[in-house]
Formats: sequence, structure tokens, C-alpha cells
Amino acid sequence: MFQISQDFAPPFKLIAPFFIIGSIFYLLSVLSLFGFHVDNFHHLDVKMLSFIHLFLLGFVMMIIFGAMAQLVPVVLEVGHFAVELFYAIWPLLGIGTLMMVFGFLYLPTLLPYGGSVVLIAMMIFVFEIFLTMRKVQKFNVVMSSIFISNTFLFFGIIFGLAMALSYAGTLDLDLDALLRSHVYLVIGGYVTITLMGLSTVLLPMFGLSHGFTKKLLNISISLMSSAVVLVVISSFYDMLFIKYTAYVLAIFSLLVYFYLVYQIYTTRARKENDIYVKSMMLAYSFMLMSLVFGLLYLITSQESFLLVFGWLLVFGFFGFAITGHIYKIVPFLVWFERFSPLVGKKKVPMLADMLPKQSSHAQMTFTAIGVVLITLALLFNNDLLINAGASFLVFGAIAFIRTVIYMINYKKGTIA
Amino acid sequence: MDNISKRKELQTSINEDALYTKEELFLAISTVIDPEVGFNLVEMGLIYDAVCDEGGNVQVTMTLSTKACPMHQMIQQWVKESVERMKDIQEVIVEVVWEPEWNITMANEHVKKALGG
Repeated sequence: MFQISQDFAPPFKLIAPFFIIGSIFYLLSVLSLFGFHVDNFHHLDVKMLSFIHLFLLGFVMMIIFGAMAQLVPVVLEVGHFAVELFYAIWPLLGIGTLMMVFGFLYLPTLLPYGGSVVLIAMMIFVFEIFLTMRKVQKFNVVMSSIFISNTFLFFGIIFGLAMALSYAGTLDLDLDALLRSHVYLVIGGYVTITLMGLSTVLLPMFGLSHGFTKKLLNISISLMSSAVVLVVISSFYDMLFIKYTAYVLAIFSLLVYFYLVYQIYTTRARKENDIYVKSMMLAYSFMLMSLVFGLLYLITSQESFLLVFGWLLVFGFFGFAITGHIYKIVPFLVWFERFSPLVGKKKVPMLADMLPKQSSHAQMTFTAIGVVLITLALLFNNDLLINAGASFLVFGAIAFIRTVIYMINYKKGTIA
Repeated sequence: MDNISKRKELQTSINEDALYTKEELFLAISTVIDPEVGFNLVEMGLIYDAVCDEGGNVQVTMTLSTKACPMHQMIQQWVKESVERMKDIQEVIVEVVWEPEWNITMANEHVKKALGG
């Protein structure tokens, strides 16, 4: 019999802080967009750096790490090496992120310290995952994706720390080269490959999809991994051909991945378009739009296209992919903790009952409008549209926090 | 004695004097509902077989909609408990198999219709 290890499901009190704090960082990141001008959307602008670290470290990484605590036993089919280590990760990641943001805005000498705290949090995470993976006897493509993404994360944070030291004046290094490597290693190598791998498990699980091929995941991960390695090489040796080859490979990788997602979508037995499916549709629509602008940038070298590419990929694709999955993962965790012991003894709620429909849909709608408005602001160089977009994003973020709190506090639905 | 040996012994001892029929066992297991989709395991087509001998020893063969199901062991336990609640049941073995792989054609018509939107 094929045995799956589920005995090591972490307690809810371990995972809940990741989702609560991640949601607060999400709100902070969109609040930080107020007062932005189009000129601030530059990769070395301190406001931009604050926003991107609040969003990527405080929200994206925090949620992914929390989700991985739950999903690693599911995906790797083994128990955690030491799941208690996750108790140390969220405080370190949260404090380190705040220190870095404060450092960017007011006190650059704080950056290496904040960077070091984040580095410790991520190292704990990476080594916990690597040590857990040692128990895996036979790797499948999804397991390999976890290994590859965490290897990229390891190098990404080393580059990030070097940048923090350089930014604070401790080291004299080529910031541009380090930044390009850091961004590609973390965003392309870690976040994108992790999302690719996990979504190949989660999308079919929730949609009851069967009959699609996972070979496409293999191809898209190979292409993205090659792209990341080539960008890092081209950053230090200034080889234009290699750099553009890497960009093209990354775009092809995402296109192949999109085709895989399309196959999963068309083979699903469950046709209901709930908030999860709608969020994922938005996420992949924004991903496709970002690819169009990425291609336009490669052809025209117009910087606004690059900004729109980055904005749509990070806030549109990552943002909706993560909030969509939160609407599935958090109800499950709460249900598992609070209601599963009552099965057979009392009437228990269904997972869908635990999700507030109005606030989750408000989050999706307001956020989608905000993303589009800021896209237009970047294309037409319009500061007013940035504030309008930020306003919609704030309402979306408030609705998101309300939804998360509702799900976490859900106690109704039991009948004695 | 391991599960496979118990299963073989149980299957060889099945006869017309069985304490419960397959239909009765399926009826008991149909009280187990998947909280994600809202249907019971029997109508989802996840229960492949259930046999009982005259001594009240039961063997349930089932699958799950995905290997990555985070409720794997919990669902297995619920199935076991649902049968154990039947009168005079001595032992229940629940085996999860992956062949044949589950797909939606194994579900009841009304499940297919409801999921199909």
C-alpha cells in the first residue's frame, strides 16, 4: 500500500501567525503606495524598495513559509524534520522585514542588521526543508521543484545580504549586478518555481482534475531554472546575448506553465467557479498580461513596459495566486483543528461555509481594479491614477484581513 | 498479522453467513462526508469494496481523489469508525489503494451533475 505521512500535520497555532502577520504586511504594503509618484517606480528608489520588501518578504514569503509548514508533508509525503523551527521563522522574518523597510526609508545602517535577521529566518526555513527532503526516497517532479526552488532561495538570500552590506556602505560591490541576481534568484527561482510546483498539486486537488501530463511542469521548471542561472552569469560578466536568452527562456517557461494550468482547468470535474477559481483566473490573466509587456519591453526597451511587467507579475500574479490559495488553506487548517475531532459526533460545517463570500469577493474586486489602475498609471505616467489604484488596493486589503480574521475565528456550524 | 494476510484470511472466509452485506456496509460508510466537496464517499465512488465475514470482521477497500489529500488518514479513520458503529463488528481494516485511479466517471450521476455546475 502507498503510504502517505499525515501524522506530522503541524498545529494551527504554529501556522496561524504566518497568515495573520502576512495579511497585516499585505495591508502595510498597499498603504505604502500612497504618496507614490510614477518616478518612485524605480528599482533603487527607497519607497519602491520599502514597498517591494513589505509585499514580497512580509506578505509573499510569510504566507509561502506558513503554507509550506502545512504542505510539505502533503507534497513530499514525509513528516517535517523539525516543524517546531517554524515558531522561530515568523517572528524573525517579520522583525527583519520591518528593520529593512525602516532602513530603506530612514536609516540605511539598519539594513545589514535587518538583512541578517531575514537571512537567519530564511536559512532556518531552507535547512528545515532540506533536512526534511533527506527522508524522501524517490523524488517526483513536484518534489524536485521544491528542492530546486529552495536552492535558488539559499543563493538569493546570500546575494541579498551582500546587497544590504553594500547598500549600507560596509561592502563596495556592484549593486546593479547583485540586484539583478537577487531578484531573479528569489522571484524567478524561488517564488515562481514554488508556485509552479505547488499549484500542480493544489489545482487538480481542488478541481478534481485527472488525465493531464506533468511533463509540462518538468519543462517549465527546467526553462525557468536555466533562465535564472543565465541571468546571474550575465549580471557579472555583462553578456547581453546570455541576458536576453535568459529573458526569453523565462517567458517560454511561464507560457509552458500556463499551458499546463490550462490543461488542469479543462480536465477538472468540478466546474464550480468559487472564489478560489476566480482568484486563480485573475492571477493567470495578470501573468499572461505581464508576459505581453515583458515581450514588448524586449522589443522596444521602453522602461514603462518593464515596470508594468514587474507590477503585473508580482502584484497581479503572485498576489492573486496567494490570496486565492489562502481561501482554501486557512478554512482547511481551522476545520482540521476545530471541527475534525467532532466528525461523527456533531454536525460540522463544510469548508465552503467557513469562507465569508462578500468580503472575499470584495477583496478580489477592489484589488483587481487597483491592479489595473496602477498598470494604467505606469503606462500613462499618471500620479493621480496611482493614488486611485492604491485606494482600491487598500479597500481590497481591508476586506482581505476581514476575511482571514473571520475564517480563523470561525466557531459556528456545530450543532449539539 | 499484517493487513494483507488479514485481508486474504477474511476474503477466504466470506460466505453467505456474512454478518452484513456489501450494501449495508456501504450504507454505513455513506455517513462519511468529504468536507471540501460536500458529498459522501460512497456517492463520490471512492469506496471500491466492503466485505464482512460471519464473525463481524470487515475489510473496506477505498481510494482518494488525490494522493496529496491532506485528510488521507483522517478519512480512513472516519470510514473505520463508521463501520465500527454497526452492531457486533469485531475488527475493521481500511485499505487505501491507488489502482484503479479514481476519476469522476466513478461518481454517482447526481454528483457528476452537481460538480459539473
